[in-house]
This record gives sequence, structure tokens and C-alpha cells, in this order.
Amino acid sequence: MTDKILKVKNGDVAGSVNEFLKELLKSGKVHALLVMQEVPSKKISFPVLISDPGQLNANVFAPVLPVSTASIVSKITKFQAAEKLVGVVMHPCQIRALVELVKLNQASLENIVIIGVDCLGTFPLNIYTDFPEKKIPTQFILDAFKNKSKEAEKYLRSACLVCKDPVPVNADIVLGLYGADIGKEVFVEVCTDAGKKLLDGIKLDSKDVKGRENAVKVVREDKANKRDEFVKKKSSLKGIKVLSEFFDKCVNCHNCMKACPICYCKECLFDSSVFDAEAYKFLRKAESKGLFKMPNDSILFHLGRMNHMILSCVECGLCEQACPSDILLMDVFIPAAESAQKEFDYHPGKDPEEKIPMVVYQEDEYVEVGEA
Amino acid sequence: MNTVTIEINGSKYETEKGKTVLEVANENNIEIPTLCYHKALNPYGACRLCVVEILKDGWSELTTSCTLPVNDGLRVQTDSEKVVKSRKMTIELLLARCPEEEVLLELAEEYGIEKPRFKKKDDNCILCGLCVRMCERMGPKAISFINRGSDRKVKPPFEEHSEVCQTCGACAFICPTSAINLEEITKNKPIPILDEFDMGLRKRSVMHISYPQAVPNWPVIDSEHCIHLQTDQCGICKDSCEADAIDYDQKEQELEIDVGSVILSPGFEEYTLPKGDSYGYRVYPNVLTSIEFERILSASGPYQGHIKRISDGKSPKKIAWLQCVGSRDESCDRKYCSSVCCMYATKEAVIAKEHQPDVESHIYFMDMRSFGKDFDKYFARAQDEYGVVYRRCRIPRVEQDRTTKNLIIRYVDEDGSLKKETYDMVVLSVGLQPCKALGNLSKILDVNLNEYGFVETDPFSPVNTSQKGIYASGTVTEPKDIPESVTQASAAAAEAAKNIFEVRGTEITEKVYPKEKQVSAEFPRIGVFVCHCGINIAGVVDVKQVVEYAKTLPYVVHADDSIFTCSQDSQEMIKEKIQEFNLNRVVIASCTPRTHEPLFQDTLREAGLNPHLFEMANIRDQNSWVHKNVPRSATQKAIDAVRMAVSKSTDLYPVHHLKIPVVHNALVIGGGISGMQSALSIADQGYEVFLVEREPVLGGHLRDIYLGVNGEQPQELLKETVEKVNGHSRIQVFTGTTVEAVSGYVGNFKTKLTSEDKKVPAEIEHGIIVVASGGLPYEPVEYQYAKSDEIVTQTEFEKDLFDGKSYLKKLQEVVMIQCVGSRNDEHPYCSRVCCSQALKNALRFKEINPDATVYILYRDIRTYGFREDVLYQKARKKGILFVRYDENEEPEVNIDKGNITVKTFERVLRRPLHLHPDKLVLSTGIIPADNMVLAKQLKIPLNADNFYAEAHVKLRPVDFSADGIFLCGLAHSPRFIEESILQAKATSARAATILSKEYLETKGNIAYVTSRNCAGCKLCIEACPYDAITFDEEKKIVEVNEILCQGCGACSAVCPSGVSQQNTFTKRQILSMVDACLE
Repeated sequence: MTDKILKVKNGDVAGSVNEFLKELLKSGKVHALLVMQEVPSKKISFPVLISDPGQLNANVFAPVLPVSTASIVSKITKFQAAEKLVGVVMHPCQIRALVELVKLNQASLENIVIIGVDCLGTFPLNIYTDFPEKKIPTQFILDAFKNKSKEAEKYLRSACLVCKDPVPVNADIVLGLYGADIGKEVFVEVCTDAGKKLLDGIKLDSKDVKGRENAVKVVREDKANKRDEFVKKKSSLKGIKVLSEFFDKCVNCHNCMKACPICYCKECLFDSSVFDAEAYKFLRKAESKGLFKMPNDSILFHLGRMNHMILSCVECGLCEQACPSDILLMDVFIPAAESAQKEFDYHPGKDPEEKIPMVVYQEDEYVEVGEA
Repeated sequence: MNTVTIEINGSKYETEKGKTVLEVANENNIEIPTLCYHKALNPYGACRLCVVEILKDGWSELTTSCTLPVNDGLRVQTDSEKVVKSRKMTIELLLARCPEEEVLLELAEEYGIEKPRFKKKDDNCILCGLCVRMCERMGPKAISFINRGSDRKVKPPFEEHSEVCQTCGACAFICPTSAINLEEITKNKPIPILDEFDMGLRKRSVMHISYPQAVPNWPVIDSEHCIHLQTDQCGICKDSCEADAIDYDQKEQELEIDVGSVILSPGFEEYTLPKGDSYGYRVYPNVLTSIEFERILSASGPYQGHIKRISDGKSPKKIAWLQCVGSRDESCDRKYCSSVCCMYATKEAVIAKEHQPDVESHIYFMDMRSFGKDFDKYFARAQDEYGVVYRRCRIPRVEQDRTTKNLIIRYVDEDGSLKKETYDMVVLSVGLQPCKALGNLSKILDVNLNEYGFVETDPFSPVNTSQKGIYASGTVTEPKDIPESVTQASAAAAEAAKNIFEVRGTEITEKVYPKEKQVSAEFPRIGVFVCHCGINIAGVVDVKQVVEYAKTLPYVVHADDSIFTCSQDSQEMIKEKIQEFNLNRVVIASCTPRTHEPLFQDTLREAGLNPHLFEMANIRDQNSWVHKNVPRSATQKAIDAVRMAVSKSTDLYPVHHLKIPVVHNALVIGGGISGMQSALSIADQGYEVFLVEREPVLGGHLRDIYLGVNGEQPQELLKETVEKVNGHSRIQVFTGTTVEAVSGYVGNFKTKLTSEDKKVPAEIEHGIIVVASGGLPYEPVEYQYAKSDEIVTQTEFEKDLFDGKSYLKKLQEVVMIQCVGSRNDEHPYCSRVCCSQALKNALRFKEINPDATVYILYRDIRTYGFREDVLYQKARKKGILFVRYDENEEPEVNIDKGNITVKTFERVLRRPLHLHPDKLVLSTGIIPADNMVLAKQLKIPLNADNFYAEAHVKLRPVDFSADGIFLCGLAHSPRFIEESILQAKATSARAATILSKEYLETKGNIAYVTSRNCAGCKLCIEACPYDAITFDEEKKIVEVNEILCQGCGACSAVCPSGVSQQNTFTKRQILSMVDACLE
């Protein structure tokens, strides 16, 4: 499979990848790139849509995901497919989200070439911006990976700790770290014809790489085990009483919904006038129950949102990162996603042809709860 | 002053004078146990179980409540210590007398009595006297109490058999224990009234509903057995009916009606076996007819769908079906094939297996006639999936094992050896015969019957009888299955309508409604009406309590109850209340919206309110009927349901139905016999038709058919029809033209046409579409067809026969091979016409050349209906030789130096047969045309064989599920000319249901889209089963077609953002109900 490598110059992985991307832009292989790049203040990396190779300073391994790149691809392509080829450099979870958005008609992959990057995990925004270690976060996580050290794990977001799959699927090419000696090389995996076309004429070295497959298997198994453990540990979080307590701190800001790549509605049902009610309805509620917490619809919001998006949930954890009240949303959403998706044997982000269960009719589905 | 107020258990009740305390208690759901009370009979005070305590100043007394009349100020206690003590003693004494009686044991348990302290006797009569009073009410007074004290008992006078007893059984019916033994009362044996619909397999009462689907679904009195109508006694039903609906004076009436056409559809009767038949029917209890077995299989049948033997009630383990009983049998004068028995026996065998998987089902048959659309697939499934065993052998007689009542059948198996098999049950697949009434009816109407006793019709005008203006449909013209019957019914409707189309709608007066009140700006003013539904609701739910509760709800300005809210006077009352209280929302708590919503909505319209300002709380079907035993909870549930309905009603808003004008034109695609007949029939009903044919000439495959079965002339039909079509002022014919694109929807289609000569209009507008695009003849690749000029298809042979080619007389041996390109893996269906075509041609050939030998190599001969007699039996008599081959042993054809050899296996002689025909005729089937193109253009489905798939095989045989598109002819499935004509005419009747309307009206509960917020995810498009939602590529939002929307709500269920919602079920309305439910 992997037969191409990108040679790392002077041990600078990020810099070498930047040069590779620059080459793609310069050669006109892509008209523009969507890629993570440090903001001028150097505080953080953010996605940029860039067409000038001179200004490219990509930081694809920055362990941070401030916003959903899948949502950005949706924003760019939803109303009009890209006219010229755009390369989008994405984390595996964001590619999964993008596949879901394509199914939901919220993005177009026409003239989009996906450059997936092996993900080592990302840190919460405040940890990334005020990083307690002496190194800068990117260097820290790459060094930890190179040294096979687990020291970065303590900073990872919980979604990343139990990541569903840190290796990109459905990308056109993949920049592979797992199995590579990153002091010397990064794998460049070609997955599709579009990927092959992209690399056509780009100078890369060829090498017979055997370690990749096994390394990917090991990391996937490790993450799967961690995720299983996590799901098991959090499985007691259910029932209306427990969940009400869980969401106690919610301030109803709906940031989780705004951060979620799957929440694609133009206007969330829970922001709409559906929930406006006359004064007498509030008062009757107070009278019949004696008291009730205001605003009264926060638990309904979370469960309603979950009901709408959980089958497509790619477990990127951006909702949790966005929460100003530090509610550990993944504790509830990962186990819920696991059981809901299992119920319909649905795998979000895996296969663009797989239909969303909501629109699939199966005659023999749920016979035990329906009519005989 | 007729109203009095009494106090029961401390609560006050207003009631009428003349009632008893027990009656008032019953009305108000206050429980008082009784044994000797029945509301149809005079109270008696015998059992003393209903005692209550009358409270007076300073003292009290016990008395029976069934005999205690109410009077003002009466105070009673029904459950005081004194009362309970007295009841316990009564029960204990009764229990000592009748220690085994269920009803007493239950009471004892309820009152905590373990064992009576008194000496037990062994009786089962509690001396309540219900039977005596009942017998008195029935008239004869055949029984009464005799003796006194401990010898008291119920007997006829002198303890002898009564001479006056009428054996009605009312005494046994009313007895709360099981004390009545009719044999002691009368010498006569009671004769049960047998249920006609259940084929006498169970009893029914005098007052009965004929069958569950009866129309109208009302009870009727069997006047022959009704005691009131016979002797003027009884009359209990009239006393009991809360709606006062019993009318003993109804008489048969003679009505005179002016009509323009008559349709004759009296149906058929099943073949009745003569007495002393060889199957032992009526003698051996476990020999049944198929229709009796059908009732046994039915969940509403005598055994609730459990299969039981008549002799011992045991489940049979092995059942045999014997085919062709009263069909294909000259000996009983039923020379025709009944067409349906092969399939219904297969169905019964399959359902028997479904009900009871361990049952063995064997079917004994001659030819498997599964000729209909998808029938062969069902036949295959019966064998492969259900393990139904088919044995090709006609069974002449059935024997019975006297001790076990098992049945023995002797048959000849495929190897020719005689076998014996024992069955628990034998089902006779009886055929169809004309109904008895037809004889007289045909005389009154002066229509001819054919030699088989069915109504005579012309093959090419198959619903026309010999009498002008009288049409026939269904099994009255020939035995047939449901799809054909329904099709023929529509065809008859079309013919009937043609005669009178000019006066269509002239006798209809449109209802005028008052102008709708504007209520949007008002606060809700809700009226709640709670229905008793006689005792259906009020017998369980405390209606008064529900009404009182409703009055406390926000915005409710009026609440009331009525015995039957659906009755005319109640409707008037509701209208008055709407005016009186200026109501702008109405909530009715009653039966079910399924049956009554339209009625109540109409009442609102009559009162000037938008019909959608109405909400219904289902407190009968989903409440009182299912919670009979828990009245208190049922009342609470009714209260909750009313609160939810009231809450939703505050969020209701007026919904207006759109009226979309209908284009009164039709497009018929295909100019074969089906398309032409459809076009003619539509045009004859007064509508313009565009007839589009791909070929340069009209006629389709009819151009290749030359011979008729009964001497009719297909080429004459062709000529005549083409002339009529071309000369019809309302038909525009476009030959050499194809459909390029179709847009729009029912009532408003737009179609682009393309034609080589460019003379056709670029676009036509029409309200409906008929797909009559035909099929194709199968081109054989097997049997060396292309290798010899002496190997031809039936169609080619038919032309030569018609032309009377001279070579025909010189032929010595002709072999015909059936099922060429049919019933195989590539085309796993029967082409239906080939058997008849082969026989028709063989017979004609025999006429031309009687000395030649004709072999027909076949798998099953499928000459259903009268074709059995006029073709198959005739062919056998004419000496045509039939050799059956097996699916896996197809004949082999070889050509050696121009000589044809056909090798096949002769099953009777059990050896190979070598034939040397000088003409080999292949009976090739019909295959589907390239239907995919049109299927995509019209968004209509194909079946697995690539013929078009109708909406419902039986109920909508010529409709597509897409509104306004219809189907006929070979595009539907292989069929005969006359069957195609029937379908074609049927499409015209179906088309007229749309074309005759000025407007199509949208439904009220349709979906709407808030386009501003639509994210364009298209989930709703995929969820919509009616193709009613489309995507606007430019605006990237969805749109709902309001005519196509059927209001199922699937789109609003999948839409996460509330963009797609459904009128009358908006998210807000549903949320209001949920909130109210959780209050």
C-alpha cells in the first residue's frame, strides 16, 4: 500500500510537510489549501484557506482543533461546489464528519481533495494556549511520539484519549506518522485516483514500508480498548434523574450545538419559536409541580440534540471543548453513540454510500416493538 | 316534581323518581353486588346480596336496594359494617348450599370467607329466580318455583316435561350458576341457530352482525327466530338499547329508482356436493369444503384461527386438499375450470402452515393453474419455503377410519404405483358455479345466460350483456380471481357511465356553508363535549367527572356531555353552543377520529368555524374499550386525554384547503388494443385524449393475432377499433411519437413529445396518464428455432392457418412445445395465453387436416375458465395427443439432414418417446418491453420480471401508487385480448374519477416547509412515500407538492430542525399535548 515517503529534512517534520504542501500550491496541483496554520500572534493554530504559497506556514501536526474543519468545508462548498481543486488537510474525525455532511447534502466533494493526517491527539484550547511544558505543544507531542512516551496523554482531550480511529479513512492521500521514523520520514499513502493525480509529478521518495500496517493495527487496537473501557465506565450515566444532574451546570448557551459538525440545521429547533409558550403554561407548570428550574428546556435540548445527531456522531469532542461550564459531554455522547449506532449497524464516516438509518426502510426492523 | 336528591355513602345524587337505589348506584359506578337482579326483569329481592343500610335519625335498617325506590332525602350506605356483615352471612349461606359454584366462590373470596360454617349441601341452584322471571318474559311460563323451605326448587309443573317450553334457552342463558338442565324441562332438543357466514361451524344469536366486514356494520334481527317478532314477548333488546335504535316495525320496501344503466354483479356460489358423493362430505366429519376451511383459518372464524378437527377438536397434523371438486368434470355438468382453486388451495395450505408449522399439507391436483401475475412465484414459495407437497393425481374417493375418524386416500404416484395415505383432515377445493338467484334475475333483466349458466358476454366487449344498457362484472360472467373481478367492475362502471356522461353531476346539490369566522386574533374560547356513547364510554368512564374537570381547564368556557355526540340533535346542540358561547375551538371526547372526525369537522363548518379548530380525545377505542375492568383508572386517563386535547386546541389555527384545477385531458401511452380501448372509453365519457404510439401505425400485437377461440375475428376487431379511434372527435392520435419527458402531478401533468415528422405539439397538458405500452413476443433461442424453416412460433403458424396455406394439408405430424421462454429461470412466470393459443391453433389445424397427428408437449395445461371446455376438452376429443414433460426434462430437438427429431420422456409408458414431426411449433411466451425508460420518466415501479407493478394486486389492479397514473394490457402482465380490453376500460373508469372533478382539493393535515430555515439536507425527500417533496436546486431548499402530500408526517419526523412540519400536528401542538400530559 504505502510506497511513497516524504523525507524529513533536519528532523523538522512539520517544516518538511509544509514544504510538501507548498509544492502542491506552487505547482498548481491545488488552487488553494485549507490547512491549520499558526495565527500571527503564535498563540494558536487555526484553519486558513490559502492560495499564496509564499504565505503558507502550515502546522498540520499542531495538537489542537479549535473549530470543525468539516463544518468549514461545508461552509465553502454547500451552495456551490468548488470550481477549482482545493486541498483540505484534515484530522480523521473531521473526515468522518465531512462524509456525514456530504450524505446530508451539506457539502460537496467535487474538486475537493482530502489530505488526511495521522492524528496524535489534540489538547484543550486553554492547555494549548498556556502550555505548561517547556516545549511548544507541537514539538512536545511529536517528540513524545518519537520517543514512544505517554507523557502527552495527560493533556489530551478525553475524546482524543478514546479516539474512534486516529488513522484517516476516506482521504485521497494520507500523511502517515504511525510506523514511521519521523526523524527521517513521513509516509505518503495514496488512497484514490484523485490522490494519485495529486501526487503525479511531485517528487517523493519510494520505499518499501512494512511497519506501517502493523503500527496502524496496534494504535487502533489500543484506542479501541481504551474506548471500550470508557464506554463501560460511563454506562451508568442514564435515566432522567442522573442525566438531569449531569446537565445541571448547563447555561443553555447552545455552544455545543454550534461547535458540532453534525448539527447542520440553519436554525436549531430549540432556538425556534416552537418552545415559546404563553405565561399561563409556565404558571400552570409551577402550580402543578410547586417549582421547576428555569430555563426549563435545557435537558430537553440536550436529549433532543442527541436524538437528532447521535447516529452520525463522529466523537470529535468539539461539543465538550466548547462548553463554558465544563460539562463532560463525551461521557454521555460516546456511550450513546456506541449503542445507537450499533443498534442500526451504522458506521458514520466510514462509507459515503451508506445511507443514514433515518431514511432507510426495512420491513423486518424492530419487529419486537411493532406490529406482527 | 320528578327529580329527587338522594345521598349514597355521603355523596348527593340527583335522579328521577321511579328509579331504584340499585339503578342509581349502577349509573354512578357505585358497586353493589347482585345475584338475582337483571335490568331486563322485574326486581325480586330474592338473593339479598344487594342490601344497603337506610340511615334515619338515630337508627337505621337494612333493605334490598333492587326493590328500594328513591325518594327525596333518602340516605343510604352501601358499604357500612352492618351491610358487609349481612352480605357475608348471605354469601356463607348460599355457599353452604352450592359449594362448587364459581360465582359464589368469587364473592366469598372478595368478602374474605374461607369456608361456610354451615353444613354443606350439594346443589347448584341459588334460587335467585332469574330463570323463572325470564321464562315469564319470554311468554310460556314453563318453569316456576315448587315446594317450600329446603325443598324449594325450579321445575316445570308436576316436575314433568313441559309442553309449553319453546326451547329458547333463555333460562339457561340468564342463570348465574349452571343450574338449568334443559333436558329436565323439555323433551325437545334445543336446535342452535347456525352462523351462515361461518358455514354453520358455530352458533350465533338472533340479534347478530352478519360478518365483521358487513356493510352497513349494524346488527340485524333474525326475524324467523326472534321471540318478539314471533310471539310478541321478550323485547329485551329494545329495553336495553340506549340509543333507542330497535325498530320492530321495519318492513321490506319496494323502491323505484330511475337509472341510466344497470350493472349485474351478484357473484357466485361454491359448488354444492350432491348427497352421497364419493368424498363423504357431510358424512365424514373431517371432510370439509375449502370455504369451510377458509372460515376455520380466519381469526374471526369459529375457532379464532386455530385449526381444529370437527370430530374431536384436535389439531390436524396432516391435511389433504383435493382439487377440481365440481370443476373440469363433465360427470357433474361442470365442464369449465373454476380458475381460482389452485391458488386458493395453495394459499390455504400456506396459511395452515403459518398457523401451525408442524402440519403437513398435501395438494392433489391435475394441472397447476397458477397463470396470474406473480402466481408461479407464490406456487414456488409454497413448495420451497413452506414445504407444501403437490401430487399430480385426481382423487375419486375418500374413505374413513371409523374409530379415529381419519381419512384415507388412494393415489397413483409419479412412478405409476398405487399408494395409500391417511389424513386427519381433507379439504375439498370446490369450484365456482352461478348463484341460484341468477336464473330469476336473468329473466327479469332479460339477459342471456351461456351454456354453463353464467351471463353471456361478447369476448371483445366483455362487460356487455345481451341487453343494451345492462352490464355484468365479476364471477357472474365466468369464474375469476379478485384482480380480474375488480378490473371488470371498473370496466362495467366505465361502460355504464358512457351512456349517461352528459348528465354527470346534474343531480348533485352542493352544500353551502356559512362564511368562516376570523378567530386568529382572539384568545381561545374552548368548548368541550364528552360523549357517553351509550354505555360504551359511560359504562366505564365517569363522564360527569370528566366534564367537571374540563370546566377547570384554561380557556374552556363551556363543557357538557351527551349520550351520543354523533347524533343529529347533539350536532345541533354543539352548533348552538358554538354560537351561544362564541366558541372558537371545539374539543370532543368520544370514540375515535378514524370514523367520526369528518362528521364533527363538518359540524364546525356549519357553525362557521374552520374545521381544523377541532380536536378529538379518544376515550372509547383507546380507553373505555380496553380498560373495562379498571373504571377509576379509565376515568383518570379520560381526564388526561381531555387535558391534552384542550391544551393542543389552544395551539390550533385555521387550515385552508387549496383547490387546484384539473386539466380534463388524458394521455394514453401505447396504441395497441389496450391503449386504443382505453382512449376510446375515456373519450366516450366526454374527455379529450392524446393517444401516443411509438410505431407508425396503431394496433400493436393485435396485428399478429388472427384466430379467435370462439370464432371471433381479431383482425375485424383491429380494423374496427382503429377506425373508431381515428374517427373520434375527442381523440388526437400521434403515431411515430414517443414521450420525451413528463413533469407535473395528478390533475396537472405536462408531457414533452418527440416525433420524426415534427407535427406533434411540443408539449401537451393532461390530468391523467394511462400506461398501455405493451409487451414483446419472446424470440426463441432454444429448440433449434433458427436452424430450420419447419420450426416456427405459434404466431407464425397461426398466420399460415389463417391464410389456409396449402402445405398444411400435406403435413403428417405436428409437434407443439409449450412454455418456450416461460416458467424458466430467465422468465420465471407463466405467459398465460400460450396454452390456449396452441390449442386454438391445433384445433384449427385439425379442421384443415383431420388425419394429421398433433402432439402437444406441455408442463401444465392452463386453459382456465370456459377455455377448459371449448379448447382443452374439445382438443382431447379430437384426438390431439398430450404428453407432459417435467421442468427438468425438457424435450430435445435435433435436426438431421433437414429432418426434425423431438425426444421426450413419456411418463405413462415410462420410456423415451421419439417424434419426427414435419412441423415443430414453439409456444413462445410474452416478455416485458423495455419498460425502464418510461418507469423512470413517470417514477413508477416495475416488478421482478420487469412488468409494471400496480398499486395493489387485488384492490387497485390498474392503478399505480402514484396518483393519476394507470396501467393496462401487456405492460401489466401477459393476458388475452379480452382481458386487455377489460383492463383498458377499467383504466378509463379510474381516470374518470379524476377527470370528472373540477378541482382537486388538498388535505388539511399536509406538510409545509419554512423555507427560510431549510438546510436542504433532503432527508424528508427520502422519507416521503408519495414523492410529494422536491428539491429546488437553485435555492437549495425543499418544496412540498400539496396535492400529492397525503399527510403521513414522515417528513416532519425526520426533519431535525422543525423546518418541515405538518398542519394539525405541528411540533408546537404536539409539545402542548406532551406538556399537558406531564402536568
